Amino acid sequence: MISQFVASTGPDVHVAPGADFTVFGWPITNSMLWGWAMLVVIAVLMIWAARKITVKPKGGALQYVELGAEFATDTVTGAFEDKKVGRKYVPFFVTLFFFVLLNNWSGLIPGVGDALQTHSHPLLRPFTADLNGTIAMSVVTMAFVYWASVREVGGIKNYLRHFFAGSPKNPLYFVIGIIEMITDLTRALSLALRLFLNVTIGEIVIGVFAYLGGLLAPGNILAPVAAAPFTLLELGVGALQAYIFVVLAANYLAIAVNEAHDHDELEQLASGQEVDRIAVTVKA
Amino acid sequence: MESLAHGIMIGFGFIGATIGIGLVGANYLNAVGRNPEAAKFFGQAIVFVGLIEVYGLLAFASTFFVK
Repeated sequence: MISQFVASTGPDVHVAPGADFTVFGWPITNSMLWGWAMLVVIAVLMIWAARKITVKPKGGALQYVELGAEFATDTVTGAFEDKKVGRKYVPFFVTLFFFVLLNNWSGLIPGVGDALQTHSHPLLRPFTADLNGTIAMSVVTMAFVYWASVREVGGIKNYLRHFFAGSPKNPLYFVIGIIEMITDLTRALSLALRLFLNVTIGEIVIGVFAYLGGLLAPGNILAPVAAAPFTLLELGVGALQAYIFVVLAANYLAIAVNEAHDHDELEQLASGQEVDRIAVTVKA
Repeated sequence: MESLAHGIMIGFGFIGATIGIGLVGANYLNAVGRNPEAAKFFGQAIVFVGLIEVYGLLAFASTFFVK
């Protein structure tokens, strides 16, 4: 049996998406197609949930949407010191959470992947298993984070100041600040790579084990049995990666906002306003 | 020779990630043992596992580009 494993050529491994067809010379890839399909599904699902939702929980499929939304909301607001500021940015991050989560899970539906093929590549591919897709998502997310943090801190000058730990005139802080800025620019790439690699390699692992299981018995009967545990594992990984994507993005925003908040409080303390307020409350 | 290179790449790539995840898990259990209230930081431990994991996966992904 070992020689059978070694001699075989192995399963097909696709790291890049393939073009299903072209429209006016633009290739429409399998991941784009499935990404758009999931976009419609998510929009319909969320509009339906928003119409149906009530203050008193009723159960059914709705409670899972509610559970996910509440979990993501708590995660995002938990990162901010000022919950009011955090609540303002909740809609964006919760949308992101559901988009990544459902795209990760949609790749595990049988039929998405190598089972259906056109032009010797899969017909459908999960959107998050395409580096172009995850880079687009991370660039949009980081652009939003920069815009929101500049808005919250009040001006680009204040935003840039938080890299330098207070004063850019100190040579040590200056060098640290430059390094911090470069680290900040790599965040978009690391967000994209993390999601892409986890989802793609999950797909590859499922493919490899389905292939190995198929070798055990004639007619590939055992392939689903061998692939099932890894599909279940990938359900967990998909949820975890959606959570991590949102937590990291929310924290990137929260770091800038919280530091500015601390700075304001310190200035207030230094100018004696806070002391006056404490004195007033004590008297009252 | 090529498959040997793939084996070495995957092996060494995974060593670092597994040691890192082991350290995270060990320190989390240590913290829970000392202070049971620290059990609420399980989510944060998982986030760090996710951060570390990607480097192991990078090693795995790069084997597809080695010829």
